[in-house]
Amino acid sequence: MDDLAARRRRSSQAPFRPSLFHLGRVWLGIGWQSFGGGASTFALIERAVVRERGWLTEAEYVHDVALAQLSPGINLLGLTILIGRRLGGVGGIFVSLLGLLLPSVTITVLMTAAYARLQHLPAVQSALRGVIPATVGLGLLTAANLARALLAAARREGRMSLCFSLILLAGSGLVLALWHPPVILVLCGAGLLGAVAGRGRGKTA
Amino acid sequence: MSLWLYFWLLLKGSLFSMSGLGNVPSVHADLTARGWATERQFAEALAVGQVAPGPNGLWVISLGYLTAGGRGAGLALLAITLPPLLVLAVERLYRRVRHHPAVEGFVRGLGLAAVGIFFWVLLGLLRTAGLTPRSLLITLAALGLGATRRVPAIVILALAALAGVIVR
Repeated sequence: MDDLAARRRRSSQAPFRPSLFHLGRVWLGIGWQSFGGGASTFALIERAVVRERGWLTEAEYVHDVALAQLSPGINLLGLTILIGRRLGGVGGIFVSLLGLLLPSVTITVLMTAAYARLQHLPAVQSALRGVIPATVGLGLLTAANLARALLAAARREGRMSLCFSLILLAGSGLVLALWHPPVILVLCGAGLLGAVAGRGRGKTA
Repeated sequence: MSLWLYFWLLLKGSLFSMSGLGNVPSVHADLTARGWATERQFAEALAVGQVAPGPNGLWVISLGYLTAGGRGAGLALLAITLPPLLVLAVERLYRRVRHHPAVEGFVRGLGLAAVGIFFWVLLGLLRTAGLTPRSLLITLAALGLGATRRVPAIVILALAALAGVIVR
């Protein structure tokens, strides 16, 4: 019924706004289920606000996801902010962030507190000898996926662009390891080099 | 420890990152240089971030708790929630400069460097667990299981914990 009502509203011109309470409750549901981080949570959000309720069209959702990639910090929070504003203005942003973060932040803090209490137990120590390498493995996977997405975009622009990107990728780590400059300097430097190269491509294209 | 500086270092890391783990290199360098966090605390916080629900970027909250207690966790929460609000400014700007090649280039350069540095940080973390054949094997196994996309991170970490307890 919810679904039908929403679809009817969507076909009319006025954008649909749920009550802030309703909006917060939906985000709270997403927050509870968001085990597994990034990709699975994006899918949860899409199902909740696009497919189940029709609060956003697929096109609006895709637009917000793309912009969220450009936002500083956690992309998922950028997406939550954009959707929250669409559906409830400033109040919408607030209840959406609150709903998404309340369960996950609470559990994160509780888990850390429990760990801090138990960390001296021998069993916890030996479990950690397994968990840390596994965390590194999962981190490497994240890094590889990020690198692949960035390099794929560069490859579409030709061999020069791909080589340049590979140099930035390997070089930034190397520069940091060799000379220990401030990380921000390396990040901004790489960004500026990328901007110069991008402008060069824009001119020749 | 100055809480203002502590907060600013976390905020800076988040401001200059494009993803939840993009702030690892910057926060890592800033906090370990001042002795406010150890390699080990980083590894632990990242592990909690992987296991707990929500974006992996919440690892900072765990680090905040480990290094400065409840206050640290609160400051960390603020430091990772504020920068994404800039997406509202980005949206306004984006309509004008969307396809400007220099903008695309900057975003990509920043992303590439963050990933490149992230690799080094991860290798550093691996050293804290000891560069033994066993830990390398667990790293590879987690990488392989994760790459299948069939096994949730929490299951992989549970298996790894089990391996840590059983395999000596």
